[in-house]
Amino acid sequence: MAESGAWLDSEALNRLMHLTLMARAPMEGSVSGLHKSPHRGSSVEFAEYRNYVPGDDIRRLDWRVFARTDRFYLKEYEAETNLRCYFALDASGSMRFGGKFDYARRLIATLAYITAHQGDACGLICAGGKSAAEIPPRRNPAHLKALYEALDKTQARGETGLIAALHDLAERVRRRALVVVVSDLFCDPGPLLNSFQHLRFQKHDVAVFQLLDRRELEFSFERPSRFVDLESASSIVTEPSSIRDAYLRQFGQFLEQLRAGCNQFGVDYRQVVTDQDYERVLADFLVERARLAASSP
Amino acid sequence: MTFLQPYVLFGLPLVLAPVIIHLLNRLRHRPQEWGAMRFLLAATRSSASHTRLRQLLILLFRVMAVAMLILFLARPLAGGWLGWALSPAPDTIVILLDRSASMETRTGGSSKREQALKLLAQAARPYEETTHLVLIDSATRAAQEIPRAESLAALPQTRATDTAADLPAMLRAAFDWLVENRAGAAEIWIATDDRRSHWRPEDPRWKSVVAQLGGLTQKVRVRLLELNQEPEANASIAIKELARRPRSGESDLEVVLDMQRNRAGAARVPVVMTLDGQRSETEAACQGELFRWRRRIDLGGRREGGWGSFSLPTDANPRDNTAWFAYGADTPLRAVVVSGDREAGRFLQLASASGNAGAGRAMGAGEIAGARLDDCSLLVWQGPLPEGAEAERVQTFASEGGVVIFFPPGEAGARPFAGVSWGEAQTSETPEGFRIARWNEEEGPLAKSDEHQSLPLSETAFARRQMMTGPKYVLAAFEDGAPFLARRNIGRGEAYFCASLPQTDWSSLGDGPVLVPMLQRLLLAGGRRLQPAASVVCGELGPSDLARQWVSVDSTRPKDIRTEAGVYRSGDRLLAVNRPAAEDEPDVIAPEEARKLFGGLPVQTLEERRLEGEALQGEIWRVFVFAMLLFLIAEGILILPARQPAPGPPRRKEQPA
Repeated sequence: MAESGAWLDSEALNRLMHLTLMARAPMEGSVSGLHKSPHRGSSVEFAEYRNYVPGDDIRRLDWRVFARTDRFYLKEYEAETNLRCYFALDASGSMRFGGKFDYARRLIATLAYITAHQGDACGLICAGGKSAAEIPPRRNPAHLKALYEALDKTQARGETGLIAALHDLAERVRRRALVVVVSDLFCDPGPLLNSFQHLRFQKHDVAVFQLLDRRELEFSFERPSRFVDLESASSIVTEPSSIRDAYLRQFGQFLEQLRAGCNQFGVDYRQVVTDQDYERVLADFLVERARLAASSP
Repeated sequence: MTFLQPYVLFGLPLVLAPVIIHLLNRLRHRPQEWGAMRFLLAATRSSASHTRLRQLLILLFRVMAVAMLILFLARPLAGGWLGWALSPAPDTIVILLDRSASMETRTGGSSKREQALKLLAQAARPYEETTHLVLIDSATRAAQEIPRAESLAALPQTRATDTAADLPAMLRAAFDWLVENRAGAAEIWIATDDRRSHWRPEDPRWKSVVAQLGGLTQKVRVRLLELNQEPEANASIAIKELARRPRSGESDLEVVLDMQRNRAGAARVPVVMTLDGQRSETEAACQGELFRWRRRIDLGGRREGGWGSFSLPTDANPRDNTAWFAYGADTPLRAVVVSGDREAGRFLQLASASGNAGAGRAMGAGEIAGARLDDCSLLVWQGPLPEGAEAERVQTFASEGGVVIFFPPGEAGARPFAGVSWGEAQTSETPEGFRIARWNEEEGPLAKSDEHQSLPLSETAFARRQMMTGPKYVLAAFEDGAPFLARRNIGRGEAYFCASLPQTDWSSLGDGPVLVPMLQRLLLAGGRRLQPAASVVCGELGPSDLARQWVSVDSTRPKDIRTEAGVYRSGDRLLAVNRPAAEDEPDVIAPEEARKLFGGLPVQTLEERRLEGEALQGEIWRVFVFAMLLFLIAEGILILPARQPAPGPPRRKEQPA
């Protein structure tokens, strides 16, 4: 077992800690926090007046305005609440290729650290072949230890259970949350996009990191090789040069389908190649989300 | 196709090396763990057929490249000798060269023999270093090893001759050489034309020599160099008969010539006659392809012998344009009549009397033992056939060139002479008697006269006749097919059998118009016994004649009597040497029939090609090198990557956040 926090780089954390992980949509938290809440009225930051309609709580009537205008107005305030963030880690065998799994754990560990230290709750779902380990979200920074231990223990093997895990998450978690999916997404794009749609239907903010190895993108093999499937152990002997075109064509179609589907369902899709600096990837991600959060109404 | 380095062909299994390497590579492919297998499977499925075809083509090109390399290293030879694929260079090549007169037929500016020599030299050149080249020519049938193929045309054994060719005998000579020299794998290259007289397909020696060649432990193959170009216009001349006929103190030379042409239709052919060195010109009106021409040459009072020739203008084959002759001195011809019947003997004695020696002697059968036959040219025998010592004496007389004619004894006898014996005597039951229906008017004693008048055989009545039994050549026959006059050849001479007698109770032969010319012609024919042979077929000179010194009298250039036609003198003797009559025969053998003669021996024929065209046989390694390069280039094109991989997201430098 790796030591707790082995996936963290302190220098990178120092550079990233001034950034915050923001949700693009209002979140439903149990305590006050950095994030906008969909509920109004009970917080301290004034938002707007609106006309009274039957059924409104008369306690929220602004009597001073009534006295001046003889009309019933309700004074509404913007609530700021905390973020509940679920990290969905694909623990299928295909994630072992090219250090994608370690890259994913590094991403999640860093994001979890940032999330926890900005007062938000973070949890972990490891979607493996047959079972999905889950660490429920907690706000306690000490909770990170349990999360890191789960990251350490999780091994990438077998076929992916990501789709089922996401559907399950969408069914179970009723309160709005940020779901960060870290996977190579090597599964049928239709069901996968359905799971994303399911999450979005439940008002969850979904961010997807698709991790790819450079060789998967370019298929730059020269010598005839025996390709062994990391998920099923089946193998195929082929000459890469003879099928490169067909492979790249198939792979490109897959990526394009994913990109279009994510765009359609409002999923924050990011393709990450493992030779990219993860710190830079995270910085871009956090800055982009902060910008989007600030610009949202 | 043949190979100069055939042992390299043992490396042909190496063509499987690319296949084996391919299979081994499949076994030892580097394992590569892979995550995006679903895309790999999809890509493999979509390009499976194309990939398999490409791999098969790559393998094929590699195999072909290796095969071409091996074939190139084996130094292939090719040309017209198709069908000899993968056959190694033989240990020995025996060249059977036809030097006969017919091979001097010129087509395209050179004779068939010259063309054959050129083709053979080209074909044999690549084998000079690895193979024994042996030449057996048709004239001498002596084997001679050839150091260099180029020297073939310069050898005396390849020059033109006037001899015949005997292919079975040449094959036998080749067999003998192969056995005596214990040669290894051999090829027999036969360069001859398609004259039937050369091939002799009916000759029983074919079966034996083919069986002998096929029975050799070493492999023997036959290659036929066919020289069957369309012949140009040609005519040949040959002396069929030559006789010196006395004529009241003088003599004539009667010559019968056969002129053979390969063009039909009438034509006037100029003929140059040379008699004892004096030339004179005349014309022969030829009709048809075979024309018989009779000439009577007046020798005047000349008594001694001489020589001469008949020549045609130069045509396709200059070798068959001259016929040579030599004639002997005017010697008296004499007949001996042996008869037990006085009347018959008298008739026969008068009919056989010669112009320069008078009537011959008549004697009884018992007197023959003491009679002198040395100066006799005709023996007329009436009575029972001779037996014992008598028979031997008659046999000797005939074999020396004399002519014997037997007349019937009137009663049957079982005693044969030369296989023929007298049968029963028959008397005609009709007043007309027996009639002669057919007889040979072309040659022999019953031939037409000089004035082309037929002998009145059909008007001659026969009341009695005697049958003859045994093998014989019938010159004249009665209406019922029974022979009237038959012949058997005995040595240089002949024996005739006549079925009737000149007495009136037998026939009207005694009238003379048939009996006299018949006996006179036989008397003349028997005259050759009194003179040494004046004519011989080229290449068939007897051992005694070969031992003599001969000098050409028709040419100032030294000539070889063994192989060249002409007139030669040795002492007082003149000898005319002419090409064999068979050389003028136009009969040809079909290629299929010629191939069948070789039985089970592997035979390959080669149609003659134009000399100015391609070489007969040569190394073709360039073709294989070129093919190998083509296969390698094609393989290289197929194994090249189709294109550069599509670029993925750009690699970013590490930058601090």
